[in-house]
Order: sequence, then structure tokens, then C-alpha cells
Amino acid sequence: MTATPHRERSTLRRLREDWWIYLFLLPTVVGYGAYTVYPLVASWWYAFLDWPGFAMRGTFIGLANFKLLWHDDLFWNAFTNSLVFLIISVPLRVGLALALAIVLNRPSTPFRGLFRTLLFLPVVTTGAIVGVVFTLILDADGPVNLALVKTALIEEPVNFLGNAGTSLYSAIGVWVWKWLGITLIYWLAALQTIPHELYEAARIDGAGPWREFRYITLPLLVPFLLIITLIDMVGALNVFDLVMTLTGGGPAFSSEVIEVYIYRTAFQATVPQLGYASAAAVLFGLLTMVLAVLQAIGVRSVRRGMAAR
Amino acid sequence: MSAGRDTHSVADARRRLSRRQLLGHAGGLALTAAALPALPGCTGSGTPRSRGASDGDDGPVTIQWWDQFRPLTELFENELFAPYSRQHPNVKVQRRQLDAPDLAQALQLARRSNQLPDVHSIAGLQTSAAALVTTGWFQPIDEFVDLEGSPVGQYLYDGIHRFEGRVYTFPLFSGQWHDGTPWLNTALAEQAGVDPAEVALTWDAYRKVLRQLTTKTPDGVYGLLMPMQEPGYLGSRLSTFAQTAGAPGSIDWRTGEYVWASEPFFEAMEYLIALQRDGVIHPGSASMAPRDARARWAAGQGAVYMWGPWIIGGLLVAEPEAVERGIAAWRIPAPDANDRGFIHTEPASGPFWLSSQSQHPDVAADLMLQMTTDRFLTLLAGAMDQPPIQINLVEEADVHEAYRANVEFMRQDVRQAPVPQIRNPDVADVLVEMQDIHPNPGEIVQAVLTGSESNYRAALREYNDKLTAERDRAIKAARTKGAEVSIDDWVFENWDPANDYDQAKYAEL
Repeated sequence: MTATPHRERSTLRRLREDWWIYLFLLPTVVGYGAYTVYPLVASWWYAFLDWPGFAMRGTFIGLANFKLLWHDDLFWNAFTNSLVFLIISVPLRVGLALALAIVLNRPSTPFRGLFRTLLFLPVVTTGAIVGVVFTLILDADGPVNLALVKTALIEEPVNFLGNAGTSLYSAIGVWVWKWLGITLIYWLAALQTIPHELYEAARIDGAGPWREFRYITLPLLVPFLLIITLIDMVGALNVFDLVMTLTGGGPAFSSEVIEVYIYRTAFQATVPQLGYASAAAVLFGLLTMVLAVLQAIGVRSVRRGMAAR
Repeated sequence: MSAGRDTHSVADARRRLSRRQLLGHAGGLALTAAALPALPGCTGSGTPRSRGASDGDDGPVTIQWWDQFRPLTELFENELFAPYSRQHPNVKVQRRQLDAPDLAQALQLARRSNQLPDVHSIAGLQTSAAALVTTGWFQPIDEFVDLEGSPVGQYLYDGIHRFEGRVYTFPLFSGQWHDGTPWLNTALAEQAGVDPAEVALTWDAYRKVLRQLTTKTPDGVYGLLMPMQEPGYLGSRLSTFAQTAGAPGSIDWRTGEYVWASEPFFEAMEYLIALQRDGVIHPGSASMAPRDARARWAAGQGAVYMWGPWIIGGLLVAEPEAVERGIAAWRIPAPDANDRGFIHTEPASGPFWLSSQSQHPDVAADLMLQMTTDRFLTLLAGAMDQPPIQINLVEEADVHEAYRANVEFMRQDVRQAPVPQIRNPDVADVLVEMQDIHPNPGEIVQAVLTGSESNYRAALREYNDKLTAERDRAIKAARTKGAEVSIDDWVFENWDPANDYDQAKYAEL
């Protein structure tokens, strides 16, 4: 008996036979296209327009928006604030979540389920509501200041959100608190992939908790670290709802991140500037991409250096 | 295995419906069933189906109405929409009330998606109304109703209500108001030994009483609430205090120059700093928006909140107990009680406009006209929002004594200023060209009061210089686009700061 030779199906035949797959994919593709791809591409075009918000359409002005933007101090202020937010909040969230995950992964830790739930609860709250509530919690008369003054850690209440020196860092703290739970879940899932036998073997060889972490846990978590960090970085660039309700970008633009800058330019200016705001979004995206590429080059050369040794 | 059995099983498989095929067919049916109701809504022209409306005037008509006037909710529903629907049973009015910033966004998005309401206000859209008219946001209302013959006809101005001879809107509220009235919690005042009837008329007296209200009230209660999260509020505080100190406004209309860097503004800034240093401002003010401050005032966390005449109307909607507890209005203080500067405002613009996208402009315009009757204007006064255009109606209306007192204070303190676009409609093209300058005075005040800026004189000078340069640039840009405008349009030699600049004054130019 000879086997029937496998023939490649033509594209048309594939489409005909698997049409139902594409039908099920259609809602997602249409939704993604309409609400993600289209606005993204449209904003690239709008960036080249002079478009007051009350007009139906804009006028093509080439790179004029980008030229103005390049010299706009408030754009660079917002860009810097976004970078600071990213650089501080992501390692904090990733590192703290990892530490908590390791503790909560130990069978000996009591009430693990309860702590996991409590840490995850803020994740399911709405960012805008969290912002509003924390304006009261971090108030000069709020419970945080009350506790700090009563425990003599500070003498006078600190206006966390009303002080240009602390507003951005307060926003970072609230954001980390809100999203810590989801990163914790990612790490817990990652920790389940490490075989227990490795730990048993290490203990037989006399390894303590630190050496277990250093030589078993950490190396095996590196792939997850890259993915989780990337997810958290994306989250750190989407903080509009929280910052808007917490500080409004103030005081004195000290906590104005790029999304708030874009929103203010697009909707709150005397003459709303949709083209200019789009240019800000595009330029920020390009600059972030440049930084990401530089970072990737840096990481690769460090790895090459380590491999060479 | 025989080839025959193979052929038979393959044929059987082809006849039977596989699980995958079943899922595929079911999915296709489900999607088709879901899409069917939406198909009739596709008009093909990009125009959405009218909401509950039919093509004829006799058919059901739904008028969409958007505004920001929370205190007027009951008035609109019970005294405007319901009576109109009783007279015209086929007409239903759906109102949406939004805060001004949210309204501005919603309107911009609605316009681009062809979903503007029939009637809406333009709160939050700080752009000149003339710019909105020229870009086709509205349609003239005089095509459908006669406003010139109505009680508000005498208050119509070119460049504000009338454009190229067509009337687009009408004033409903008086322009004789400001948003810096010190509203006093009388219960806290009595606790602190302050007589609510003794109005603190000078800046020094005001500071003194605020200190008393801070020190002689329970812990956690402060003399003054000042929402610092919103630069617009702070800019208004700076401007009103500066004007009581003698500033003509932000522009000296005799010369047309911006005066943000003049002595009265520096004095006003120093006064705000002094209030901060006195410790009378609630420490949570830095993270408050105006409505948060109102809520905190209602909760008794601050004795005084400086805001507009609409505070009582707003409190009655959300926190009526705060009004029952006791509220008084003080006159805005000035450095010298005997030599007070006036606060200058523009003539009242129209709060409501007829959308160019309205499918029922005749019905919408007729509905709007109902607001111009004496009866409605008297009821409007009773709602205690901004005072009505016929401000004398407040005396006859059923209003809180504090509201009545405040209206009287405002009649004494507020004067109507010139408006360049009334004189020359092309000025609106310049205003559209002008870009915002940052930091603006409100942002400068915010930076100063939160400690991140100390040299406010330099900051205000820089702002003033940049604003002047920006206006010059905008004038040039508008002229290249065909506008006939010059800096002289901002100069009104016949302006007397102590008197209203009325229609007759424009005629003298």
C-alpha cells in the first residue's frame, strides 16, 4: 500500500474550507482595527495638520507641529515626567511583586490565600476612583499624614499631592499599590514552573534559601522577568486616569505625564489643538522607540560581554 | 484495510456534519442574527438615524438638550420641558447635564460624529463663540422665532449674539456677576464669634476674620477653602482681587495693552501669599477642584469659600442641609473700602445655541423662546444660579437672603467692559489664531502657592510680554487670511471704568 502524497492546500481552498475560523476571528480583527490600528494610523496623519478642535477637519501644515513641539518646554517636561514614572515605578512594582510572590509561594506562609486576595483587590478597582479616594487619603489632614505625625516620623503634615516635589512620586506610589497584585499573580504563575526537584536536590547539596534563590529561582525566572517587565512598562505609560484624578498633572505641571499633556492640549486649550496633540503623541512614541532600541542594544552587548567571559 | 471500506468511511465522514462545521455554521448564523437589527440604521450617508424622531413635525419629536447648569435641573424639567410637552404632546425633551470640562469634550466628539444635541451650551469651550459660528456649529434662531420683539431683544449684541445680521442666541443670564463672592458658613462664624452681618470690606479685615475663623473653630476647620487644583479658579481669584485694587481687568481698554504685570496684580498676588502664610487656607486645598471645595465647605471643613452666585442653587441640589445650617454672602473685599476698583465683565453671552445638526430646529428654537418670558426669568432667579438677564427680577423672586444680598453687591461692584469683537467681528479670527501661553496667571498662582515658584513678578512679566507678542502674531496671521483687524480694535478711548460700556458707547466710536 502506498501512502497518499500530502498536497499543499491552495489559499483559496483553505479559505473555503476554514471560512468559519475567519468568521470567528472577524469581530476581534474589526474591533482591533477600529479601536487600535485606525486611531494609531489616523494620529500619524493628524500630526501633520493644523486642526482646531471645533473645526471638522484640519489643514495640512507639514512638520510645523513637530517644530513647535521640539521647542515646547512643557512637552519635554511631560516627557521627562513619563520617563521618571517609568524608570521608578516598573522596577519597584516588578521587584516588590517578586519578593511578595516568593513569600506567598512558600507553603509555610500562613493565610496565603487571604493575602493574595487582599493584594489583588486594588487591581479590580477603577483607576479614576482610586485617584479620587487617594486625594483624601494623602490629604494634609488625611490618615497617612495623621499616622506619620502621630508616630513622630514627621513633625508637620506633608502635602503629598499639593507639593511639586512629591506629587509625581506620590502618583508613582499609588500606581504601584494599585497594580502590584496583577504582577504578583504573574510571578506566582512563573514560580509554579520551577520543578520542586531542583530545590530538593539543592537542599541535599546543602544550599540555603539565598543560594536556592540565586542559583535556581532567579535564572529560571529571567524569561518571565523580561515579559513581565515589558507588560508593566506598557502599563506605566497608561496612567492618564489615575494622574488626572489624583493631581490633574499639577501642581505647576510637576506631575503632568505625556497623556495628560496630550489631553490638555487636545481638549482643554482655549483653542483645542488636535493636530498638535497628535504630533505630541507621535513624537513621544518615536522617542520611546529610540530609547527602547538603545536599551536593547545595551542589553545585548552586556550579554555578549558576559558570554565572552 | 480494503480501499472500499476506506472510500465508504470517507464518504460517510463527508456526509456527517463535523463538530468544527457545526460550530462554524452556528457562528455564522449567530453573527447574521446579531447584524440584522443594525442594518436599517445604516443610512449610507454617514448620518445617524434620528433618535426617536420622525420626518414630519406631527410625528414624535425628541429634542436633545445638553448643558452644565446643575442648579437649574428642576426648573428646566418642571417649568420648561414638561409644560412644553403638555402643549406639544408629540415633543419630548431629553436633557443631559455635564460639568463644563466634560461638556466641552463631549460636544467636540459629538460634532465630529454628527451627534450634536439640538440645543446645547458652550461651557468649557473657551473658544470665542464667533469662531464656532463661522465654523458652522450653529444655525440662526431668528429664522424660526422672533427674538427682537421678546423681553431679551434689547440685550442682543453684534459679535456676541448676532453675527452678519442673524441672531444665533440670546442672553438668559446677567453679565453683572463675578465668581469671587466670599460665602460664609454662618454656623462656624457664630462658633468663632464672628458676626455674619459684619461684612469684612477690606483686605486687612478679611485676613483678620479668616484668622479668627481658623483659630476659634474646631481642629481641622480652616478659614478659607481655595481649590488649587484648577488654575482657572486661581487665575480668577488673582484677577478679581487685582481689579478691586484698581486694575482695569486683564486689558487696559484705554490703551489696549495687557496689564498682567501691573502693580494691582502684584498686590493681589502678595495678598494671596499672605493668606497662605497666615495658615488660613485649608491644607487640602492643593488637591481640590472647585466642586470638591464646595463639598468640603458644605461638610463644614472651611468657613469661607469664594465662588460664584450659583453656590446656593448648587448646594440645594446636593447638600441642602448646608443652606439650612446657615449661609451668608460678603462683598468681595478691596484694599481700601472707600476706593474700590470695579470688576469688569463682558456683556452676557448666550448660554444656549441651536445646533446646525438639529433635525428639528423649529421645535428646538420654539422651546428656547419659552425661556425669554418674564415668568420663566423670574423662576430662573428663584433657582439661584447666575442672576437672570433682567437682574431686577431677583428682588421679586423667592430667593435666599444671601443670594439677594450678593446680587446687590454685584450690582455695586461689576461694570460692563468693552468687547473688541462687538466693534469688529474680525477680531474673532485673531482670537482663534492665538495660542495659549503657559504658565498662565492661574498656573503661576498655583506654582507660587505650592512653593515651586517664588519670583511671581518675573513670571507675570514674562507672561504679559509673551501674550502681547502672541496677539501681535495672531493679528498678522489673521490679516494674511483676509481679516481686517488691527491692534486699534482693542483701544476704546471713550471707556470709563466706573460705568458700563453699553451699546451707545460703541456707536460713539
